[in-house]
Amino acid sequence: MFGKTRIAAVAAAAATALVLSACGGDGGDNGDGDGEASGDPIPIGIIADLTGATGDVGAPYNEGMLAYIDYVNGNGGLEGRQIEADSNDYAYEVPRAEELYNQYVNDGVVAIQGWGTGDSEALSGSVANDELPFMSASYAEPLTNPEEAPFNFVVAPTYSDQMRVALNWINEDSGGDAEVAVFHHDSPFGQAPVADGEAWVTEKGYSLGYTAYPMPGGQANYVGLLSQAQSQGAKYIVIQNVAPPAAQVAKDIQAQGLDMTIVCLNWCANELFINIAGADVAEGHMLVQPIAPITTDKPGHEAIREYIEAEGIDEGDVGVSWVAGWATMDVMAQGIEHALQNSDELTGPAIRDSLQTMGAIDVGGLIGGDVVQFSEESHRGSTTTGIYRAEGGQMVEVEGSVTP
Amino acid sequence: MAATATGIHHRSYTSELKLRATKAEYFRLALLAVLLLVVPFVMGNYWLSIVNTIFIAVIGAVGLNILVGYTGQISLGQGGFLAVGAYSSAILSDRIGLPTPLAILIAVVLTAVVGTFFGLPGLRLKGLYLAIATLASQQIIEFIIRRDHGGWLTEGKGFINVDRFEFLGFKIGARAVFEQQWYWILMPLAVLAVIGARNIFRTGLGRSFMAVRDQDIAAEAIGVNITRAKLTAFAVSSAFVGLAGALTAHYSEVVTWEKFTLQVSILYLAMIIVGGLGSVAGAVYGAIFMTILPVLIRNVANAVEGSVPFLSDQLPAIQNAVFGAIIIGFLIFEPRGLDRIWQRMKDYLRFWPFRY
Repeated sequence: MFGKTRIAAVAAAAATALVLSACGGDGGDNGDGDGEASGDPIPIGIIADLTGATGDVGAPYNEGMLAYIDYVNGNGGLEGRQIEADSNDYAYEVPRAEELYNQYVNDGVVAIQGWGTGDSEALSGSVANDELPFMSASYAEPLTNPEEAPFNFVVAPTYSDQMRVALNWINEDSGGDAEVAVFHHDSPFGQAPVADGEAWVTEKGYSLGYTAYPMPGGQANYVGLLSQAQSQGAKYIVIQNVAPPAAQVAKDIQAQGLDMTIVCLNWCANELFINIAGADVAEGHMLVQPIAPITTDKPGHEAIREYIEAEGIDEGDVGVSWVAGWATMDVMAQGIEHALQNSDELTGPAIRDSLQTMGAIDVGGLIGGDVVQFSEESHRGSTTTGIYRAEGGQMVEVEGSVTP
Repeated sequence: MAATATGIHHRSYTSELKLRATKAEYFRLALLAVLLLVVPFVMGNYWLSIVNTIFIAVIGAVGLNILVGYTGQISLGQGGFLAVGAYSSAILSDRIGLPTPLAILIAVVLTAVVGTFFGLPGLRLKGLYLAIATLASQQIIEFIIRRDHGGWLTEGKGFINVDRFEFLGFKIGARAVFEQQWYWILMPLAVLAVIGARNIFRTGLGRSFMAVRDQDIAAEAIGVNITRAKLTAFAVSSAFVGLAGALTAHYSEVVTWEKFTLQVSILYLAMIIVGGLGSVAGAVYGAIFMTILPVLIRNVANAVEGSVPFLSDQLPAIQNAVFGAIIIGFLIFEPRGLDRIWQRMKDYLRFWPFRY
């Protein structure tokens, strides 16, 4: 009997020692929102894709965000407080994003900047429960509804709005009678605007034909898909996918000698699309992109130019994804600044309330050539987008600011 | 291990059937029990969240090991079966309004049924061919949840937000206590899963699984109904996996298709290979190891960021490379995994100074 008690006692001691030594090491574990005195840094967590499936646009987006933070901190911060951003790569894998999120929550961040549709959706429930404002580069319709996702803010027009703008343009360009093929990524991200686009054609009474085709992944080319579109009689191909497959479609159209115009939405509407396809192949294709490229010289670009000149960054490296990161962080920073001015304590709910009530947020026309505005009923920040045409290897503005 | 270790003598059949024979084993059990009871009080929320993830992984890995390690039916369908558990439990509890534990229970049964269905090819196929057949099940389920044709799974949103776990007036609290409360739900379930799996292999059913694995023709000759054994193995294994999937849904409070890809299937296979095929303890070790490894690699990379910036720049690539290297290393140096290494360490101490 005596032996057993002693064993148990030793066991307890050993276990405690083991656990304590396991959790030592990384002290300051329980930093849940303490230290709100003015002058303290403002902690923000960034979930970035640098090396994953969308790293080619995720990395510049992250650079843009960090550049904005650097710029603001260099100019005295927000109300005298520096932004302290922790940015980590999640390689576009949702479980890693969740793990990073847990780490940030534990570190006591007041806001989260995410990236893709996958992580934005996977974390929408958690950020609502933890009351942390969340912005990302996913412009999916469900995230704009505060009843569904009360702490998600969508800064740019949704994919559905971009699709509506694309269809309006096609309707006008074709004279109101054309077949439209929609090539989309085979996922919720890809499908997001498909049904809304079809409803728009009916609602507006356009006599456009409308057929959607999922783009299979890992294809060497899209000739098969294009021949389907050809038998449909499609003259316009709206693509909701990232740039590399869209550029492949452009090459295939060229190689097959087809008379089709691509209308790229958001994630293929960038310099990357033109560079991968090549200037000749991309020539004449249309790009629906809410973020103003630096070549369009909006007022908001002045700060970017000032920053990149000081840092010695080549303007050619500042693509729309870079600007998107900068502009998104700008919206979040203005919300934080407003919260600092109007509430005693900087918390997630305070930032959310600020974003909802502060009215128009001026980002110098970087997003849709207009302001961003949220309300308690809607977290749809903007409905305006730009339309560009690929000309001579550049994104040339066709219309700077259109709404559906 | 079926054979008893050297130096332990049984005088009755009951004592031979006992799970633990030596004092050292009881001592370790007590140590483990104390450890499990102390953990939630000393660990911070971040580490507790990792521990909770481990518990879910343990349930899933134990389930997969029943099928792959004990019955010898290779399965690449783990991600799909997790998805069945997660989606059905989320839909049953949040949309249909069943009490969450009941929804989880139905999800477990449903996953077992789906698993059995996709196990049917196992009656005719073995080895690599079966792996390809289960790969098809992964692809089919992934296709369904990814497309969500007609929006019957996610109502057209592409994901399901799951309400905070609630039962009989008890509701999981805010972030400060969230992980701790989940710990007290997940820990007992993981322990039950482990005890349950251990006990299956003391019964005739579990032994028939192993007979099928070791030599199916001989098993049939001595009267094992192979059809039944294989399908039961698929059902039992999928039930565990369904439980893990359902818990994932309620713990992480959101269900998206991206959590249940082929990569998840392979991660779970890696867990049981690294831990030890055909061993319940091995599945546990593997789940712990594979969950903690990426976290450790990241912490190390962050710690040395100043001197070796390359490490943190290329972190996910390095994590993948280390994963691959570890699996290859285990296959070469200790194919029976962490469990066997642990056994050898124990034997070494027990027989010291003799070799055996």
